[in-house]
Amino acid sequence: MAIAAGIEALNVYGGAACLDVRELCVHRGLDMPRFDNLLMREKTVALPFEDPVTFAVNAAKPLVDALPPEQRARIEMVVTCTESGIDFGKSLSTYIHHHLGLGGNCRLFEIKQACYSGTAGLQMAVNFVLSGTSPGGKALVVCTDLSRFALADAAAIQEWAYSEPSSGAGAVAMLVSDQPHVLRLDAGAYGNHGFEVMDTCRPGPDTEAGDADLSLMAYLDCCERAYRDYARRVEGADFRNTFQYLCFHTPFGGMVKGAHRQLMRKLYKAKPDEIEADFSRRLGPSLAFGQRVGNIAGGSVFLGLAGLLQSGDLAAPCRVGMFSYGSGCCSEFFSGIVTPEGQTLLRARDIAGQLDRRHTLSLTEYEDLLRGTQVIRFGQKDATIVPDAIPAAWAAYQGQGRLALEGMAGYHRQYRFV
Amino acid sequence: MDRDSILAVIVAQIRDVVPELEGRAIGGGDTMADLGLDSIERTEVVMNTLEAIGLDVPLVRLHGPKNLGELADLLHAQRGA
Repeated sequence: MAIAAGIEALNVYGGAACLDVRELCVHRGLDMPRFDNLLMREKTVALPFEDPVTFAVNAAKPLVDALPPEQRARIEMVVTCTESGIDFGKSLSTYIHHHLGLGGNCRLFEIKQACYSGTAGLQMAVNFVLSGTSPGGKALVVCTDLSRFALADAAAIQEWAYSEPSSGAGAVAMLVSDQPHVLRLDAGAYGNHGFEVMDTCRPGPDTEAGDADLSLMAYLDCCERAYRDYARRVEGADFRNTFQYLCFHTPFGGMVKGAHRQLMRKLYKAKPDEIEADFSRRLGPSLAFGQRVGNIAGGSVFLGLAGLLQSGDLAAPCRVGMFSYGSGCCSEFFSGIVTPEGQTLLRARDIAGQLDRRHTLSLTEYEDLLRGTQVIRFGQKDATIVPDAIPAAWAAYQGQGRLALEGMAGYHRQYRFV
Repeated sequence: MDRDSILAVIVAQIRDVVPELEGRAIGGGDTMADLGLDSIERTEVVMNTLEAIGLDVPLVRLHGPKNLGELADLLHAQRGA
């Protein structure tokens, strides 16, 4: 019998502070008469004592701690998927591996391709399991991203305007193995589409630039073509009937709605009422967490999967169609099976409760954070973090065993569980 | 289909996506952003226009026009290509 492979356990870490997106849009003077159509509510904002490592460890630690020692020792690969790197050479995986207390017989590396990175990492891990080269071996895939740009002046704010409301922060950790309780991937069922385009980019460590229209167009082109490539590989695939649920990479909900509408029109010439009902039924559940956390890049499609497991109706095993897109660009449509058992496991993580407990930032606090005077910058050699820049947020952060960034000593990041 | 007919299709699609624009004159010199369409709505207009004129090209090839007239020119050229 073929090996089953996929996600054994999944956890989301949605940060310690958030901002109301509508308030932000009003504050920026953005004229958005139909704001509700964009399906955005809140976004997570990283605090000075948080970085991609703390997010990743806070997401992964509950999964690792729940494993008996002999299974923990079988984690043989830590793949970090990110566009928020902190060093050109040393991977985030080395820090994450250390703070999770994993064994030394482990591959440690980082993957980058904008928001596609998480799917690239998952597929590397799944193919490691399917290869059978290390029977029973597990991989830890962690998607961790945050947008923290130095908005020192009006020009910087202008450059970031196209994505500031949707840019969030968060991490998704996935334990990948031959025990796929959360998502069993359909091996060999996938389709890709990629081409060179300059739609959005991070040209420097603290800057992001892009063109909203071009990015949307590339996303829509990829969604159609990656699905058609999937259908070419998978005999009998039918977008409308094969997948009981769908999870798409979600920069914001409105974009997913546009992509779904395009596919339903192109493939079936579906009418608006049918499209709207199908969107609510098959994609609605996947938006549960994304509209509270914002776009978390590589982890976004898996945040969608978590939302589906949280709020979908999973009385029986269901096939879910997943679409991942990363600017620049590369994309993939793939599928897998979710089960009632996976739903029970996911719900036990109380992700919604954790999001409820975030500190809600005032606009003054947010803008103060954006000035970035308290945060460590890329390439900085030595620094000490003042953790209580926002005292209420720091007070709430402690006492739950979460990792906090304390500073830098000779380029070496220093952390502590608090 | 000539260029002006394509422009008329674009304008009709804009009115369909944003009914609130009823009564407002829309011409080749207008931009969808100035008419108050957000990026989702702008792309929806382009997709619907492609469907209406029976053209199937990647959307990224239609990026760049500064106003509706330039978009009509580009679509007209793509149709002839």
